[in-house]
Amino acid sequence: MANTNARASSPTSDACVIGPQTAVRGSLSGQEDLVIEGRVEGSVSLSGHLIVAESGEVEADLEIESIAVLGQVRGDIVASRSITIERGAQVSGNVRAPRVMINDGAHFDGAVEMEVDLPDDLRKAAR
Amino acid sequence: MTRQSPPTDEPSTLIGPGIFVRGRVSGEEDLHVEGRLEGSIELTETVYVATAGIVVATVQARDVVVSGVVVGNVTAEDSVTLNAGAKLVGDITAPRVIVADGAAFSGNVAMGGEPPPPRKERRQPTRRATPKPAAATRPAAKPSTKASKASPTRVAAIPTPRAARRDEGDDTVVVKHAEVDENKRSAGKKTAKSRKKAPPRARVPKPGKRRVGRR
Amino acid sequence: MANTVIGSTIVIDGEITGDEDLVVQGTVKGRVGLRQNIHVEESGVVEANVETATITILGTVTGDVVASERAELKSNCRVVGDIHAPRVLIADGASFKGNVDMDG
Repeated sequence: MANTNARASSPTSDACVIGPQTAVRGSLSGQEDLVIEGRVEGSVSLSGHLIVAESGEVEADLEIESIAVLGQVRGDIVASRSITIERGAQVSGNVRAPRVMINDGAHFDGAVEMEVDLPDDLRKAAR
Repeated sequence: MTRQSPPTDEPSTLIGPGIFVRGRVSGEEDLHVEGRLEGSIELTETVYVATAGIVVATVQARDVVVSGVVVGNVTAEDSVTLNAGAKLVGDITAPRVIVADGAAFSGNVAMGGEPPPPRKERRQPTRRATPKPAAATRPAAKPSTKASKASPTRVAAIPTPRAARRDEGDDTVVVKHAEVDENKRSAGKKTAKSRKKAPPRARVPKPGKRRVGRR
Repeated sequence: MANTVIGSTIVIDGEITGDEDLVVQGTVKGRVGLRQNIHVEESGVVEANVETATITILGTVTGDVVASERAELKSNCRVVGDIHAPRVLIADGASFKGNVDMDG
């Protein structure tokens, strides 16, 4: 987590940053890491790590490798690796990833879909 | 009889690993489940599902701490915590939800509680009845949406989340009846009311049915 | 030593089965089928048919009890129901209404 915070404030050379005064509307795609400190509306498709900083406001569907949310996201999130929702973040939407972490103090509304491996008899009960 | 209950001064109930309870369990003390429980749990205190515990039940308690398996909806007044190794299939309704790394979870999460605080440009989006800026009602919309924000006892469905999709490309959320009903109801501002009466809004899920919190 | 303890404020309406000792300080309604020892403490209320190896009752039991080894009713307990056990002990002060069958 320290890493992601550091990255949010001082992006590394590989991270693209959408600054706090910037708004993007449309679809964003790429293969590098991205830090959103401003506003993004539309859709984001990244094969890298996405950080929605505290000041970030995202109204978009996100498809990424991994994401750490400290700000606001309204939209569905599908990650191939992991989704982390930090304290103070506000996420409204459905999320799907093999690993999802919701920290205490995060605000989340929506569905979470991880692979849950249940023994057979319970699997039936679950459906 | 010596009680081998978990170290706590408060009374607590332990369902050991060799026990299978099927039915309704209710009470006013902590409950530790290390065995199997099917049915329903209604407690005023904390439910702990141990690593070996298997609960196939609707759970309602003040706090719920899961380290084992739970299949069923979980409602807590305070918090629901899924520890590493926990498996939960079902919906969670609680003001605080903590999902640790290593937990496996599939279901809806409803925190109810406060809407995201308005940020500078933040318009209270999609309360489903938020007025279109076209009319001067837009500024009025904000306070009303907040006011009308009922505490969501939402039916947990998993509908197409982005009902707000239609917002794309639009900064503001649209509602027509504000204009239409303006005369009918002085409460043109009360989006809540308009929501109820609004026939035009066919595509909007009924209040209380919002899947994705649109506050 | 008891592993499973049903605390005094707990009410279980259903069926309990298992292979462990059980201590009942709360209320159990329905059915209990264990292979070990059951202690119904003073605050315990069992409204169920019980099947177990041994049972010791200090509280209230309403229902038939089948114990494969022993049933013991302590002083001040209240039992209404039939008891089937090879050994039955009923202490002075116990309140019991029902049949005792020590043959099975």
